[in-house]
Amino acid sequence: MSRSADYAVELKDIFFSYGSNSILRGVNLEVGYGEAVAIMGRSGSGKTTLLKIIAGLLRPEKGYVKVLGHYLQAGGLNSVKGRIAYIPQTLGLIEGESALYNVLLARAPRKPLRFITGLWGGDDVEGAVEALRLVGLNGVGRRRVETLSGGEKQRVAIARAIFQGAVLLLADEPISNLDLDTAEALVNMMVSLKLRGLSVISVMHDRQLALKYFDRVYVLDGGVLREAG
Amino acid sequence: MRLTLTMAVITAILAYQLGLLDPSLWAKAGVNLVRFIPELGVRWDLAGDALLALYETLLISLLGVSGGTLIAYMLAPLASPLLSPPRVAFIVRTVANAIRTVPAILWAVLFVILVGPGPKAGALALTLYTSGYLAKFFYESLEATNRELYDSLKVIGLEGLPLAFALYSHAKKLIISNILFMLEYNVRTATILGFVGAGGIGYYIVHYLNLLNYQAALTFVVFTLLLVILIDFTSYIMRRRL
Repeated sequence: MSRSADYAVELKDIFFSYGSNSILRGVNLEVGYGEAVAIMGRSGSGKTTLLKIIAGLLRPEKGYVKVLGHYLQAGGLNSVKGRIAYIPQTLGLIEGESALYNVLLARAPRKPLRFITGLWGGDDVEGAVEALRLVGLNGVGRRRVETLSGGEKQRVAIARAIFQGAVLLLADEPISNLDLDTAEALVNMMVSLKLRGLSVISVMHDRQLALKYFDRVYVLDGGVLREAG
Repeated sequence: MRLTLTMAVITAILAYQLGLLDPSLWAKAGVNLVRFIPELGVRWDLAGDALLALYETLLISLLGVSGGTLIAYMLAPLASPLLSPPRVAFIVRTVANAIRTVPAILWAVLFVILVGPGPKAGALALTLYTSGYLAKFFYESLEATNRELYDSLKVIGLEGLPLAFALYSHAKKLIISNILFMLEYNVRTATILGFVGAGGIGYYIVHYLNLLNYQAALTFVVFTLLLVILIDFTSYIMRRRL
């Protein structure tokens, strides 16, 4: 890992449009290692698009994206694969499968045969159980994710990021549809991943929570990012 | 009402074209039925043969489902542009479509020519047909996956077969339902593969029909019905548990 790079994420003058609809018009952003940044903005302002560009899922029309020391447009995507965790609004969990299965999924790229056969080693399972324990989910490993509450599902997604050993966590509105207390506990837990060396970039809709827990808060408006006070 | 009337008119025209409206045809059918009914019955002395033939039919169908599912599992990711280069996906799709366009009984004829008559030909025919049929179901279920799930798995670093297996897990209910559908289809088809010499109970049915031994033929038909009902019922129970 290129820890020597100055920033975990560096965006320079990013432009992006869907057809004739210009979404991002010169976005600049620098996020350091172990830093937590929140991005706010109205619906359709391009927050999810921005996260997807950082995750390497979308290519900007202009500007450069440097993630974990690698330029994504210049073939750097392969170098950062597996080191980024992306939690979309729908969480990206596989329903019909257990919480443990969903966490173990993070190790599938490195151990494809074990994943396909379902014959995980004891160390894999222990690691996944430990990740679930770290997010406060004891004894729910065997439960199907669709039987868990909204807050518990979010925790499973975070446990997967921990188990994955991700260096950068991208979360898209992680606390939507949660009650206030659960939402605050979850944001606190997510931001505390900084202590494990993770950089966190999260789209947020709750301004108070964003200002309380994140190192910096940005507002995406008119296609550009502005730091919120 | 308009649909019913339209269908009635179409049915009448087609039936006329096929000579089904000829009264003498029905009179002849009635006479034949009166002659045929007394010859019906079940020969219990053939029950052992029928059970063995059913066992063979079941083996052919089950191998068709298990082998076909395995091949389709591997083919579907190659047929999906989400997981494969578009050209590869196009070629694999075309092959899978071609396989399922040809009826299973014609594949059975081909395999009888290739490996000789018997259950081996039937099992190979059903395996091939099932793989083509299920590959389509599977690649469609891969493509129907929620885009955000696909994105988050891609970012983790999943690709190729492991990514396909993760997406299969998400569509597990639909996939099992399709496999059960193919099991029912295969059992029905395996009962007639014997008509072209590809093993199973159909061989006996045709054999006794050729000898005009209707009681013996009916015995095998009755056992066939029992197997189909049993498989349909088992499949229904399994579907409900999904």
